[in-house]
Amino acid sequence: MAQSRILDLVKTQCRIFSLNFNPQRLRLGNKVLRQRLRGPALAAWYPKKTVSFRDLQNTYKPLGLTTFDEAEDDREEAIQIAKLRGKGRPKKKRTAAESRSAKKKK
Amino acid sequence: MTKMAGLFRPKKLDLSGFTNTRLIRDHNKRMAFEQTEPERQALRYMIRNTSLPGRVRAQAQLQLSQMHAYTRPTQIKNRCVESGTARSVFRDFRINRYQFRMQALAGELPGVKKASW
Repeated sequence: MAQSRILDLVKTQCRIFSLNFNPQRLRLGNKVLRQRLRGPALAAWYPKKTVSFRDLQNTYKPLGLTTFDEAEDDREEAIQIAKLRGKGRPKKKRTAAESRSAKKKK
Repeated sequence: MTKMAGLFRPKKLDLSGFTNTRLIRDHNKRMAFEQTEPERQALRYMIRNTSLPGRVRAQAQLQLSQMHAYTRPTQIKNRCVESGTARSVFRDFRINRYQFRMQALAGELPGVKKASW
């Protein structure tokens, strides 16, 4: 078969299957365009945020329903006990001067 | 010019389950890569296309190399979803070997059975 006939065949094949016709075998970087995007698969590795108890609380509080979060209640109770023992968190320093004077005390 | 990683830090964390700083950082890198992947691929195409003028290709190379490190896919490391460990993480289960052992022995992984012969 003639060379030109084979080239025509390849050209038609490329047109039908929407491939890149490149008989000179130039490096046109089309392999990059053929690659699939990996981003969505990589971004889905860690579990996304789902509905939390706080979300339920936020939706049902305005409707006048009462909610009780046992873990949150325990935490607040523990903080109260710690405060009574003098083990609470230190007061937040709002200004630069306050934070400097706090350092000097030591 | 310094490029801050804080650009890629979301205002609110959109993860549930175990989190630590390194896991969140890796998640941020994944998000950054997902956002910039089309741009990176376009630049990669320009660099590899020998029919484009050399100047354009060199510019594309420069632009790609100057993108933030967080947008690079090689920065992404698979970490354990349960403990945040970066070593010996099974890709199929997304947990590391110790967590895998504990969960498999507890029967929490369907189809996983301790071998014995």
